[in-house]
Parts: sequence; C-alpha cells; structure tokens
Amino acid sequence: MRVALLIASASLHGGIAMPHIAYLAILPEIVMLGGAILLLAVASLVRSALNVTVITVSTLVISLASLAAALWQFFDVQSHGAYTTLDHAVVLDGFSVLVTVLVASAMALTALVGDGYQRREGLAGPEFNVLAMVSATGAMLMGEANDLVIVFLGLEILSIALYVLAAFNRRRAESGEAALKYFLLGGFSSAIFVYGIALTYGATGTTNLTQIADFLAKNVVVSDGLLLAGLTLLLVGFAFKVAAVPFHMWTPDVYQGSPTPITGFMSAVAKAAGFAALIRVFVSSFGVLRVDWQPIIYALAVVTLLVGAVLALIQTDIKRMLAYSSINHAGFVLLGLEAAGALGKVGARGVSSALYYLFAYTFMAIGSFAIVSVLGGRGDAAHEISNYKGLGKRQPFLALAFAVLLLSQAGAPFTTGFWAKLQVVAAAVDANSVPLAVIAMVSAAVAAFFYLRVVLLMYSPKKFVSDQEGDRLENLDASGDAVASTSAREPLWSGSGRQTALVNELNATLLLESSPETIEVPDEREGDVVNVPVLAVVAIGICIAVTVGFGVFPAPLADFAHKASLLFMP
Amino acid sequence: MDQYLPIVLLLGLGLLFAAGSFVGSSLLGPAKKPTGAKIAPYECGIVPDHEPPQRFPVRFYLVAMIFIIFDIEIVFLYPWAVIFREIRVFGFVEVLVFAVVVFVAFLFLISNGALNWGPAKRLSEGMPSRTSDSTILRITATPSPPTSPERAA
Amino acid sequence: MTLTLLAAGGATIPDIIVFAVSAAVIIMGAFGVVTSRNPVHAALSLVMTLFGVAVLFIEQDANFLAAVQVIVYAGAIVVLFLFVIMFLGVDRRENIEAEPLVGQRPLALIFVGVAVASLVALLVSSHWVTGAHGVVGPINGSVNPGSPGAPSGEVAQLGKQLFTTYLFAFEATAALLVIAVVGAVVLARRERRDLEKPSVESPDDEPSSDSSEKEVLR
Repeated sequence: MRVALLIASASLHGGIAMPHIAYLAILPEIVMLGGAILLLAVASLVRSALNVTVITVSTLVISLASLAAALWQFFDVQSHGAYTTLDHAVVLDGFSVLVTVLVASAMALTALVGDGYQRREGLAGPEFNVLAMVSATGAMLMGEANDLVIVFLGLEILSIALYVLAAFNRRRAESGEAALKYFLLGGFSSAIFVYGIALTYGATGTTNLTQIADFLAKNVVVSDGLLLAGLTLLLVGFAFKVAAVPFHMWTPDVYQGSPTPITGFMSAVAKAAGFAALIRVFVSSFGVLRVDWQPIIYALAVVTLLVGAVLALIQTDIKRMLAYSSINHAGFVLLGLEAAGALGKVGARGVSSALYYLFAYTFMAIGSFAIVSVLGGRGDAAHEISNYKGLGKRQPFLALAFAVLLLSQAGAPFTTGFWAKLQVVAAAVDANSVPLAVIAMVSAAVAAFFYLRVVLLMYSPKKFVSDQEGDRLENLDASGDAVASTSAREPLWSGSGRQTALVNELNATLLLESSPETIEVPDEREGDVVNVPVLAVVAIGICIAVTVGFGVFPAPLADFAHKASLLFMP
Repeated sequence: MDQYLPIVLLLGLGLLFAAGSFVGSSLLGPAKKPTGAKIAPYECGIVPDHEPPQRFPVRFYLVAMIFIIFDIEIVFLYPWAVIFREIRVFGFVEVLVFAVVVFVAFLFLISNGALNWGPAKRLSEGMPSRTSDSTILRITATPSPPTSPERAA
Repeated sequence: MTLTLLAAGGATIPDIIVFAVSAAVIIMGAFGVVTSRNPVHAALSLVMTLFGVAVLFIEQDANFLAAVQVIVYAGAIVVLFLFVIMFLGVDRRENIEAEPLVGQRPLALIFVGVAVASLVALLVSSHWVTGAHGVVGPINGSVNPGSPGAPSGEVAQLGKQLFTTYLFAFEATAALLVIAVVGAVVLARRERRDLEKPSVESPDDEPSSDSSEKEVLR
C-alpha cells in the first residue's frame, strides 16, 4: 500500500493544504462533461435550433477526444503505475482506464445510432446527446471513484440522466411508463445505497475506499453487524443498477419502453459502471470480508443466470428478450466477481474476466440494439419478434449482422462472446466454484435457444408469399399480440377492469397509429425494407468488427483486460 | 442556548400572527359557512359534470427549478466565503468552475422560456404533423379506413 | 435501549429528550406522508419530518446543516413538490385500492416488519463507537490554533472538507444540477399529458390546455 493516508485530517490542524490534482486522471471526464456543457451553452445561445448533424458531429468529437484521453491514461498507467489524486477521491489504474474506454466508446456508438433515431422521430435539440454525455460522465466517475461519495454521485448522475432519456420519446406511452418505473425503483435503490454508505461510514469512520480497506486490515471488527448491514445495502443498490435477479424487475419494462438507442446505452454503460464500482468496492475495500459476501454473490449469480435465461425464452418482444438476455449476461459477470473474491492471482483473474465480459458485452449490446432501433421503424414500436421473420431475404446484411451479434451473445466461437464466457467460467473453476460454472454453462445452453430462435426466424422462408394481403394480416396479428402482451404486464394506470379495457383499446389505437405499416403509404413497405441510416451502419460495423475481430484475435483485448487489474488488490 | 432565543421569539411571533389571522377572520368575516353549491364554479347554470382544470402553468415549475438550483449553489458558496481567505485563488477557481457549469443550466432554462411570461410560446419542435390519415385512424381505430384507396392495392 | 446507548455515548438528559421528541416528530411526519389522502397534507407532513431532522442536526452542533435543511428542503424542495401537486391538480384522486399484484400489501408489511426487526437487532448487537472523525468541530473553539486570525467553527470546517477531501464531489454536484435542470425542462416543457397519464392519450395528440375536456368527451 503505497498511498499515504489521512492527509486531509492532518492538514486541518495546520492551515489548509489544497489537494493535489493530477488532471490526467480526470481528463476524460473533464472532456466529456465540459463538451456536454459547452454544447448545451451553444445550443442555448444560438437563436435557431441546432442541426442534428452538428450535434451528432460534436458529440462524436467529444466522445472520441474522451476516448483518446483515456488511451493516454492507459499509457501513463503502463509507464508510471497507478495512483490516486484529489485527496484520494479518484484513482487512476488499469481498471478505471478500461471502464473509461468502454464508456467513451459506448457514447460514441450511441451518438452514431442516435443520429438516425433523432431524425426518424423528429427530435430536435441537443438534450438527447447532452443527457447521454453527462450520463456517460457519471459512469466514468463510478469507474474511477475511490470514495463512496463519488460512487454515489456517479451513480446519481448516470441514473438521473437515464431516467430522463428513458422518457425521451413522448409519442410512446411505454416510454413514459418506463421512465416512471425506472425513476421510482431507481430512486428507492439509491436511497438504499446511501443508507449503506451511512452504515459503512458508521462502522469504519470513513467513506474513502482505500481507508476502509486500511481500517479493516488494521482493526478486527468484533461486532460487525453494522458493517455487514452496510455491505448488504450497498450490494442491493449495485444489484439494482446491474439488474441482478431479485432486483431485476424494472429491466424488461424499462428496456422495452426506452428509446432503443438509449436502451443499448443503458444496457452497456449502466451495467458496466455498476459492475465497475461493485467490483472495486467489494474486492478492494471489503476484500477482508470476502467470506461474508462471496456466498451472497454466488447465490445472486445462480438466480440471475437461470431466471434471465429462462424468462427470455418466453418473450415475444425483441427488446424484452434482449433485456432478459442482459440479465443473463449480468449473471456471467457476477461469476467473475465471485471468482474475484478469491485471493491472489485467482482473484485478479476474476476481476479481469469480469471486465473482459463487460467490454465484450458492451459492443454486442449496443450493436444489437442499434439493429433493433433501425428495424423499429418510425415510432420505434415494431419490436415484435415475428417482425424479424424473413429478414434474411429482405435485408441480408442487416440480418447477417444481427445474426453475428446474437450468436456472439450466445457464445459462439470466433466471437468475443465466446472468449468472455470462457474467461469467466475458467475464472470460476479456478476459484473452486465448479457448481457455479456448471450452472453458467447450462444457462448459456438455454440462452442459445432464444438467440438461435431469432436467427432461424430471420432466415425462415415463410414470409415470401409476396402476398401483400397476407402480409398485412400478419402485421395485424402482430399488433394484436402486442396488445395482449401489454395488458398481460399490467399497465401502470390500470386501476380497475374497466379502465384496463379502456387502456387496451387505446393501446390498440396507439399501436395501429404508430406502427409504420398501417400509417405510411404502401410504397414504403415494399417488402418491409427499412432504409438504414449510414451512421447506424457505421456503428453496427464497428460493433461487428470488435466482436468478430477480437473474437478471432483475442490476445490484445485479453491483454488489455489483464492489465486492468485493480490498484489496491488486498 | 442563548443564541436560539431570537429564533424562538420569531417562532412565537409567527404562531401568534397565524393564530391572530384565524381568530380575526372568524370574528370579522361574515359568519356564513360555504356550501357545496356556493363554492362550485358558475357555468351558465349548468351543473358541472367534472372538476374544472385547476392547474398552474408549467413555468411555475421551471421557476421553482431555477430557485432550487441557485439555492443549492448558495449553500455551497457560504462555506467557501467563510474560508475564502485561506484557500484564495485555488478555491476561487474551483467555485468559478462550479458556478459556470450551473450558469449554463440557467442559460438553458432561459433559452427554453422559463422566465418568459408573455403569451404562450410554442416550445415544441418536431411534433409529428397530424395527417388526415392518422386522424381518421384515431377516430375509427381500424387499420384500413375506406378513405385511403391506395391501401387496397 | 436507544436511550442507554445515547447515554453511553456521553449524552445528557436534555440531549436525550430533544432526540426523543424530534425522533417522534420525524416518524410521525413520515407516517403522515404515506398515509395522507390529500397530497398537500402529505407534502406538509414531509416538512414536519424535515424539521425534525433539522432539530437533530442542531443537537449535534451542525447549525449550518440545520439551516440548509430548512432552507433547501423545507423551503425549496417541498415548494417544488407543491408546485407539481398543483400542476397535476390538487383534487385529483388516484385509485390506490387496486392491487396490480395480488398480496403485495401483506407481503410489504411482512418485509417492513423484518427490516425493522433486523434494524433493532443491529442496534442492540452493534457497538457504535468507531474511529469516526466528524466534520463538525466546536462552535466557539478555534480549529486552527496555529493561525489566530483564521476563521473557525463548523462552517469553516465544512468548507475545508468541501474544498479538500470532497473537492471532486463538489464539482461533480454541478453536473448533477445541470442534468436536473435539463431533465426537468425536457419532461415539462411540452405539457406532456401522457407522462402523467400514460396510455390514455393517442400519441400525436396536440398538447393543449383543453385536453382534459377531450379526454372526458371520448
């Protein structure tokens, strides 16, 4: 432990020593937040509304600058080693660099996907991108926080922006419902998280992660009820953010209701940031208590893996299916975290495998949701799995890309998904959690079913009757299904049966109105081919390139993840 | 506890004023209790079948938002002011950064008409245009209205 | 039990009385928030809770925090709540009797009971004395014996912590405030009826002041 402790408390008695600031450690955040603020200021000052192109380009520039800063950090960490700054509130180590790189790339990809989305839905103004960028800043803060207060602030910045983004599409009632659910449950989980911070502070006398680790290393807490309660509450707060199973209830509804590019951003960034902070807090600060938290993580991983995989099987909406699949992926990352609880090299392997998984998942998730977003059509509503029938003939490239990403999520060889699953399972086996590894394999096998189902559906020849009438009937069928599924999951405001009926009726109206097949003139639905925005193609291409490229040549990414070990390994 | 004496006095004064207002209005005001019919809004003699909309314009909400933002900023400024002489330029720069960021939020609010109390300005851009097709669809709630012949093709 | 714990921590009898009274006020206010039928009454109960917390701050010599608690929370945030309540209509009644999930209320009661019981168990079993170093210092005593002219007191202590240990957190708060504003504007500016009442409005309905009439007519 090469970090001096308690400069702050010493300095209080002899004048104020200002904290030393290593700007490099917070450079990506400064770029991202400063860019967002600047964009907001410019948009507020100019008279006419900013063009979507201008906003997208500036968002891209900001994200890429942030990414470049993160890579600079990486080389700095490689040559000079990890350190903390700002009175130990912030840490720069391989772990934080990887999270920052991940978040900055996710932001850039989301800007690419969001451009087409904003044009299609006719959303003007910089708010969409500004909120996403500030949200990304919050995620970066969570990745590099070395103080529970910073973790909490990062969590709140990330989440509050996401609550608003979830409600961004005013024309979809589901969007508002998703935002409200997310906000209420998220606020509740944040409150639990703060309670956990308070109890931890009460038990250890500090919120600084290094100092907590130091306190626990030097003191034997005889009656540690307070500490364990704090630990549990912190875990609940994190588990909500990463959608681990008993706390996953919000995920399908929110993923389904949010604008699809935001769903991709949410699934990648919120999960990565939540896991990053979870791993850092638990492994580096509460490493001493691993005997207490490892079984909890074990149990969480088991239910998360199984529930995510099984419930995804019965979904009829592609976004809900991907939501449950993201829960399943969270289970795999928990596998890595469980292994990270082990001592020494095995634990380090657990950390790097979890990070590798998050990195691989980010690109798979954003790519998948980008394709779903493009296929969603105007109104962002055509997300029935049955809509994907025959996609392979209609839009072969899009179908191929989706198939690759889905297979990667299923863990097919020559994709990052395969290596990610291999790494976490191997880490679990190393950590002597063989039953957990077996359960993970079983859940991966179950998950392969629903990914393959979509792939097979895309290439099934059924849809080529080229009979428009039959086609239309099928669409009607699909919207009927949608209504059924909406009523099945109880709209928020259905007070009484009568009201539910009313809501259903109106939902039907809404669906019919918003689905492009029924509003637009038929020439647009010549074979249901949607035109894919160029920037979305770029985003999907990058995701495919990363997924397949690092799947065929896994060494560089594995090396990156390996170097991304924590600064303060116990 | 001496320092709290003024507060207690103020509290007492406040209570006294509130109680006095109630007593005064009951003594001075007409002693007729309002009935349901009396407090109902007058609508040409017709009994209203639903509550009239009583809502604040959303701008109140935005003004309250501005107030809270700057309230919180001042909360942070106060400790800074107390130790200003000790932290000097460093603290000044840090507070300046904070204030500039918050000020951008203020700019954004202004540009969105938060303090614009003139006649209602259309703030929405990019609302979907309503077509006759969509209106017909909404009213009849059928997928193939008879008025769009292209659909039969 | 709480009292003995407090007494063990060096609290005097007035301290304990103030704590007990304000704790009772806080809990009553909290119950009021949950049980009030009228949303305005719920907001006022919240004020009561916040005042109780302010009293607890004063009891621990955190006068500045107490003032902030009253000014920001009771003064500004509850007023914002009231604006929202007025915005949505004071006399709107939501049907809260419906149970979307059967049996959630009894289950919630059971879980609350378990949570409270475990808290009490924690209170009994734990030693609360830790190595905590508080932010709050003596009101009149100088915290900087070395430099006589330096400001002292709890606000100065707070300021020092704010600009040293929590400097980064302080700056990050600015981001939080900005997204609060942007989010509020995004959600509020189009007078979105579908946010307050989803699914009862067709998506491309123009937001207009008379939409409530339209809703009734439908």
